[in-house]
Amino acid sequence: MRVWDTSHLLDDIPAHKQASAGHIYAPADSQANLQRIRFHFKQLQTRLILGLVLGFLLPNALLSAYFHFQFTHTLKESAKLSLAAVAESQKNTIDLYLQERVVNLYNLFHSKDFSLNPTQEQMETLLASLKHFHDGFIDVGFFDPRGVQIACAGPFHSLLGMDYSHEPWYHTLLEDSKNYLISDIYLGFRKVPHFTIAIKQVFDNQTYVMRASLDPDKFYIFLRAISQGKEVESTLINHQGIYQVVDPGRSQFLNRSDYIPPPISPAGVEEFERDNQKMLVAYASIKETPWVLLTMQPVSVAQAGMINTRLVLTTSLVIISLLISAIIYFTIRRLVDRARRMAEKGQQLQEMLTHASKLASIGELAAGVAHEINNPLAIIMATSGVIRDMLNPEFELDHSPEAICKELSVIDTAADRAKGITRKLQDMGKSRVPSVVECDVNALLDEVVGRLKKVEFKPKHIEIAGDLAPGLPRIFAEPEPLRQVFANILINACDAIADRGTIGITTEAKEDMILVTITDSGKGIPPENLQLIFNPFFTTKGGGRSTGLGLSIAASIVKYLGGIIRVNSIPGTGSSFTILLPINEQAQKTIKQPEK
Amino acid sequence: MDTLRVLIVDDEDDFRETVVKRLNARKIQAEGAASGIKALEVLKDKDFDVIVLDVKMPGMDGIETLRHVKKLKPETEVIMLTGHASVEFGLKGMQLGAFDYVMKPAPLNELLDTIGQAYNKKRGMIH
Repeated sequence: MRVWDTSHLLDDIPAHKQASAGHIYAPADSQANLQRIRFHFKQLQTRLILGLVLGFLLPNALLSAYFHFQFTHTLKESAKLSLAAVAESQKNTIDLYLQERVVNLYNLFHSKDFSLNPTQEQMETLLASLKHFHDGFIDVGFFDPRGVQIACAGPFHSLLGMDYSHEPWYHTLLEDSKNYLISDIYLGFRKVPHFTIAIKQVFDNQTYVMRASLDPDKFYIFLRAISQGKEVESTLINHQGIYQVVDPGRSQFLNRSDYIPPPISPAGVEEFERDNQKMLVAYASIKETPWVLLTMQPVSVAQAGMINTRLVLTTSLVIISLLISAIIYFTIRRLVDRARRMAEKGQQLQEMLTHASKLASIGELAAGVAHEINNPLAIIMATSGVIRDMLNPEFELDHSPEAICKELSVIDTAADRAKGITRKLQDMGKSRVPSVVECDVNALLDEVVGRLKKVEFKPKHIEIAGDLAPGLPRIFAEPEPLRQVFANILINACDAIADRGTIGITTEAKEDMILVTITDSGKGIPPENLQLIFNPFFTTKGGGRSTGLGLSIAASIVKYLGGIIRVNSIPGTGSSFTILLPINEQAQKTIKQPEK
Repeated sequence: MDTLRVLIVDDEDDFRETVVKRLNARKIQAEGAASGIKALEVLKDKDFDVIVLDVKMPGMDGIETLRHVKKLKPETEVIMLTGHASVEFGLKGMQLGAFDYVMKPAPLNELLDTIGQAYNKKRGMIH
């Protein structure tokens, strides 16, 4: 009977366009579903790729940055250290060079050609022996204890006989504990840049002084020689910052240096800017003279190795990051694509299944219809047989016209029944003129419950707990669809109850709406099914007992009337369906007018 | 030879009464019962040779009634009467011990034939 019941509800679905526009359930729209799936997977893909790329590359980048800075720092330090080492070694070499020159000069005192009153010839011999040791020597002079140059050899003969006793270097030499003195580079009486080495020696309590001047150019060549191949620029300055020995391309002798080392520290490394170029400079004080050695290198040269390594590091990091991103992108795209295709296939299967279940429902419907029509047909055949028997004298039956008429009316009744069924089938899906009347919801509920009690509720022990609000406002609607809404929900309530239970029916009027709440103490609806129960052909009742149309029809009808159905359910405790129906008279107009 | 005794069980009053009337006219001792439960009550007091049982009835359906009948009076032959378009219920009935099934609507001759066959089978079994 259920098969027939739900199907005959079909003919009361209003077929108006505006009614079907907003069903509560979403009809399975294949294209929309596919679009939704595609959108979902597109989003998933974007999120996955972003997440993975960020999650993978961010720590990588942070770690790289950390090591990069550490590395830079270390390399900078090592560049400084190596420059300082160069400066130190050059300083030592210069010290050694100067000491050698001092010793060269001392050796003169022990020369066989030396006398306290040397002749010009002797002096020339002494100068020749000096030049033999080192070609930087220009001249040599000898001073008696008064400070007068009593002998000299070299290109500047005019200095012979000059009194040097008031010259600062002479004073310093005599008063100093050290036996020798190396001057700054200066122009002196001869107006040619040179520096002098002077030594003192005591003979018979008289202090005699020997002095030799040296060519700074030779010293410069020496300095160039020791710094060769080191990509450094070495310069000597005195403590006032005046160039002593300098690359002629850089500056001129006696000019002021553009870098002055801190006065106290004997050695160190610093950075400074020269001609818009960052320079690294190492300084070291010369022990033998009040000079400072400056060893300079552009930072770019000093850190060339580091910059190269950094370039390789950064480039490889970028390449690896791009590679990883590309791998992530393509892998994720393939995976998501595969998942999406599977989901789409699943969706298609779902739709095919829905379609198949629709076909199955139609089959059930046809079977139900056939059964219902066969019953009256059987009566007609049997009764016509009786009439034939009556007319057969062999059977000795009452064949009076009255008796025959009685049998014919049985045939009429059965034929009428069959006609009623076919009429309903014809009406199915056809739009009819709705007969909107004032409906008393309470009365309709009573009627439906009364009908159901006779058949559907009979096999079970179901207690009906009615709480119908008296004087409920009437609503304008077709009574039959409303009956079907109530019947379908009540039948479901009954089906949810295993054997013994309560079905509660309450009505109330609330803010222009009539609320009909039907509760049951049945098995409830699992949460995952709550979304689906209004879908057509969704059913959990097995064995062909249901078409899965009941609630979907109810939802359509209620929606058409301008109301909604709300569901609450606790599995194991029961379900509650609340039907909200609008009271306003507008309902009457909106329903009736399109028909006119 | 005893008179053939037949019980017609069907909830359709018009159909049942008409069939009973026609069987009686053919000198068959036929009775009607409107439901499975009523049929079982009648069966407690009386014996029947053949029972014609409608499959689809409210309350106790034909299949259920058949089970009880076969328990109560195993020697009674049962013919299932199915209004359903499918033979499923008829076959199910035969599995449960029914003699045969007849599809509704069926001409009386067909029903009579089947009743006769069932009766012959029963007599063959007894004698």
